[in-house]
Amino acid sequence: MTATSPNQPLTPAVFHILLALSSGERHGYGIMKQVELDSQGNVNMGAGTLYGSLKRMLDAGLVKESARRIDPEMDDERRIYYQITGTGAKVLAAELERYKRIVTLAQERKIFPRTYGL
Amino acid sequence: MAYDRSMIRALYKKLIAFYPRDFKEQLGESMEQTFNDLCQEKLQAKQPLPGFVLWVFIETAIGIFKEHLLLISPGVIMQTLLKTFGSPPLVSLLIILPFMIMEIVNRRSFNEGFPFTLFFGLWLNLFAVSLILLPIVRAWRAQKHDMVNSVPAKGDTLLITPKSVLITSLVIILFVAIVPLLNGLNSEVFRIQVPNQFIAFAFLSLPIVLGMFAAKPIIRTLRAGGSLFAHPIHLLIVVAISLLFAVGFVSLILDQWPCFVGVPNCD
Repeated sequence: MTATSPNQPLTPAVFHILLALSSGERHGYGIMKQVELDSQGNVNMGAGTLYGSLKRMLDAGLVKESARRIDPEMDDERRIYYQITGTGAKVLAAELERYKRIVTLAQERKIFPRTYGL
Repeated sequence: MAYDRSMIRALYKKLIAFYPRDFKEQLGESMEQTFNDLCQEKLQAKQPLPGFVLWVFIETAIGIFKEHLLLISPGVIMQTLLKTFGSPPLVSLLIILPFMIMEIVNRRSFNEGFPFTLFFGLWLNLFAVSLILLPIVRAWRAQKHDMVNSVPAKGDTLLITPKSVLITSLVIILFVAIVPLLNGLNSEVFRIQVPNQFIAFAFLSLPIVLGMFAAKPIIRTLRAGGSLFAHPIHLLIVVAISLLFAVGFVSLILDQWPCFVGVPNCD
């Protein structure tokens, strides 16, 4: 289900989780909030989707659990943090490269202005 | 209020317990933390909790179902089953699943029989709404999809074709009707409950059939690239009937909520 090879396209959930973790370690709630922020509120990931994707990403070695610690911005509970691995970073980079190629292609074909009014 | 919060958290913990063992051991604690953080966020923002809690419970229940499917049916069979999430009988069943879990967990100490009729009623209301609205939503989404991609979406799977929806529904209805038979053919339950259930179902079938017939021209128009509002009278009938069943579902939930959360003598 989860892509382990950089050549495989990612599911939107996996892509957004990797993107959220690319700027630093986060706990589950932190990932949800970052995904919401990155997508400008368009992606509202539920716990079932987030942890279902995280499970497969952990199994595929795209992310790993890091040390438990207290989030200074929240209460004093020790939270489980997740971090992106080297493989995860490579997979994310490959996906972004793929997006870049598609955007370049769309610009070359002048699809943007006609379809999206940009 | 504090009691409610701790009860909701305890219920969510119980719901997580339904995940496969591996999953639960690896991510269960983190899921609980995230749920608590989300509840805290809603409370701080003074936003209502019940709607949010219901959404999280349903979303998590679907996640649990998916994880079990991934374990028991690998490969193509699993993918086919995942596609059938869009089928009305299954959608309805998945939505009432959290309430069934709550009923089982919270009323286990009351020595009562499982209320099959209540859950059949809940399922039937949702089934009616999804049976009428899902084909319209699919046709509308396919139309939107075709605007950016000329390849038509493959919508029909094993359980979404009209024939298989009918068969699945009949199997579930027969199952619910047969359960009282287990109590004995000569019992009061058999003489009263079973005929009543069939009469009630026959009565409720009329608006469902009417809704499906009213939806047909809307679906046809959408598939042909027309507007959703091309048949205003039909749309009005569809909305009215769907609303009727939706209100029926919500009323049943509100009426039975004390029972779901474990209040003794709730009926």
